[in-house]
Amino acid sequence: MDARLRRVNKEIADCKNDKSSKIELELVDDSPFHLKGSFPGPEETPYEGGHFEVDIRIPDSYPFQPLKMKFITKVYHPNISSASGAICLDILKDAWSPVLTLKSTLISLQSLLCSPEPNDPQDAEVAKHYMTSRSSFESTARYWTHIYAGGPDPNSGDGGKGRSGQKDEVAMAGLEKAHVDQFEAIGFERGKVIDVLRRLNYRGANVAKITEDRVVEELLKP
Amino acid sequence: MDMEVFDSDFKVPGKEKKKSYEVDAESLSQAQVERLMSVDVDHIRGIFGVDAPVASLLLRYMNWNKERLIEKYMDDPTAINVDAGISAADEEPKVSRAASTTGPTRTTRSGKLSKVKSPSPKRDEPFVCPICFDDTQTETLALSCTHTFCASCWNAYVTGKIREEGEHWIRCMAEGCSLVAPDPFIQQALGDDTATWSRFQELLVRHFVSCNKNLKFCPYPNCTYTVSCPAAATKSSLSTIVPTVTCGAGPDHKFCFGCSVESDHRPVVCAVASMWLKKCHDDSETANWIKSNTKECTKCQSTIEKNGGCNHMTCKKCKHEFCWVCMGPWTEHGTAWYSCNRYDEKASQDARDSQSKSRASLERYLHYYNRWANHEQSAKLSMDLYKKTEQKMEEMQITSELTWIEVQFMKKAVDEVFKCRMTLKWTYAMAYYLERGNPKELFEDNQRDLEKAVEDLSELLEQAIEPAEIATLRQKVTDKTVYVQKRNEIMLEDTANGFLEGRWTWNATVEGFE
Repeated sequence: MDARLRRVNKEIADCKNDKSSKIELELVDDSPFHLKGSFPGPEETPYEGGHFEVDIRIPDSYPFQPLKMKFITKVYHPNISSASGAICLDILKDAWSPVLTLKSTLISLQSLLCSPEPNDPQDAEVAKHYMTSRSSFESTARYWTHIYAGGPDPNSGDGGKGRSGQKDEVAMAGLEKAHVDQFEAIGFERGKVIDVLRRLNYRGANVAKITEDRVVEELLKP
Repeated sequence: MDMEVFDSDFKVPGKEKKKSYEVDAESLSQAQVERLMSVDVDHIRGIFGVDAPVASLLLRYMNWNKERLIEKYMDDPTAINVDAGISAADEEPKVSRAASTTGPTRTTRSGKLSKVKSPSPKRDEPFVCPICFDDTQTETLALSCTHTFCASCWNAYVTGKIREEGEHWIRCMAEGCSLVAPDPFIQQALGDDTATWSRFQELLVRHFVSCNKNLKFCPYPNCTYTVSCPAAATKSSLSTIVPTVTCGAGPDHKFCFGCSVESDHRPVVCAVASMWLKKCHDDSETANWIKSNTKECTKCQSTIEKNGGCNHMTCKKCKHEFCWVCMGPWTEHGTAWYSCNRYDEKASQDARDSQSKSRASLERYLHYYNRWANHEQSAKLSMDLYKKTEQKMEEMQITSELTWIEVQFMKKAVDEVFKCRMTLKWTYAMAYYLERGNPKELFEDNQRDLEKAVEDLSELLEQAIEPAEIATLRQKVTDKTVYVQKRNEIMLEDTANGFLEGRWTWNATVEGFE
């Protein structure tokens, strides 16, 4: 049997037998080289309570080349693209070793959620948010976990699961409702205001540094 | 004594004297470079008392900087052995470093010894390779870290690293292990795959060459030659010479040792050549469009495209209001909103003057660019001329008494035209940046003479051949070729001498001439 197939089959079987790690793997189509992995968000992080899914492709030269992984579930995290789910993690690139497995790599992703590296970002806007105001970043990440990963509703207080009906665009962008209202009142479209304020990182201590004129100037750009 | 004098006299015509526009360079085959590498390896081996593969890893880790390696090794051999992937880091590296007064040599020795002893896998239980999970593999390999994997996994891993990633620095497969595979291990892992092994050796040579300022790898595809040119090794030397070199594969493999702008950009130095190409890349297409579609604001010189029918222009930048037709300030137009009859107004004349000044710099650039591009174009066309010439040469052999060897003058002439057009092309790049003055005038005189001669010869070559005229044509072409060759020599030599003397001054800041 092909060495790659033997290894992947064994890895999938090992993962099934191991109940303690809470890492799950399933086939996406009939090929054992395209999988979907998932794991719970780590405790005591904004991702707690969420269920995160990862798309896994096993390259032809596996395990000598790293696995190709990206998040299917949207995640608000400095090292994960908020748009595409692309992941910036050294073991998926040059620090890969052939002894690493599907399980160990997924565990590494889980621990990446615990310890963001904002200095080596995949998503620069999220990283800026993280650096500017940690508490604001965490509540946004928690909100994303609620909306996309089925985590508890941060506003309901009782920690009950389930998605509330409407997405709050302001909370999604990690902004203050008062700020968005302020510029919307001048006469700009709400979506545009959110877009510009997010791009300018209009949060925390930055709010005092960015003049209103500067925001309006950005808003006026086509 | 007499004999010796005679001898040296005799040698002079045999070995051509180096021209001032040529550089001393030597072509080295891969085997010759490998010999240079083994000299360094032997040197380190002798000093440190390590075996050759270890010395090679140490040198590769330090990018073949022997002096720094020796310094570092004397300082802390344990640390460098760990960094270079020769021995594993100790459990408590801080403790071992603290006790370094007696410790280091012993640690190194034992590390080296354990490398020589190949760790034998335990025989009592069947070995399961942690990578392929195969328990039927009998052959295993491990570095001195004793992370054991089956031979076929090692083979796949090493092959992939070498073939796909072009990597010569191959770490142990275990996670976080920093040990690096020495050459004999790689050869063992590759087994009888000699093609990959020789690729590995080529990678080692390439790394060595890239670390050595005196050496450059020939950039032509699949060429394995290296050129050594110590004269052009430093950045500062590139402001006085143009190091055009050729590797041992033949005269076609010509390249510039100093830059990758173009294989032969004589007579201009690398910095000017690359400045010029960058400018052409940025400017030439837009410059022509700007020239025909825009004017500059007479006050702030911003370039303006007229996008409406009205002649009343307001500069977006400085809000200056002027007339598109006469370029004068709009205030003088009074109420004549859509017509301009005030051409002779003093203010509009001044405005036009300042406008034409800024236009002039564009015109000036286009003057040089067009000639530069023209020579490049003509040089390309002379490839066609080549084919036509071959035909002519055949014709001549039929229609006249001339033999094959005697009609070679045509081919020689075409070669010369091509060469000179390349020289001419770059003289325009040089002239664009030359500061006005006597040296530039002399330069342009030489340029003009060469250009004239080349055009004359070009024309001769395009002529139809009359059987009766062949003898005279041959004479003419031969004479002209010799003349063109001389003019080209003069052009190249004088420019090269100018660089050596520091005669050229520039109208822009050129790297290396500050």
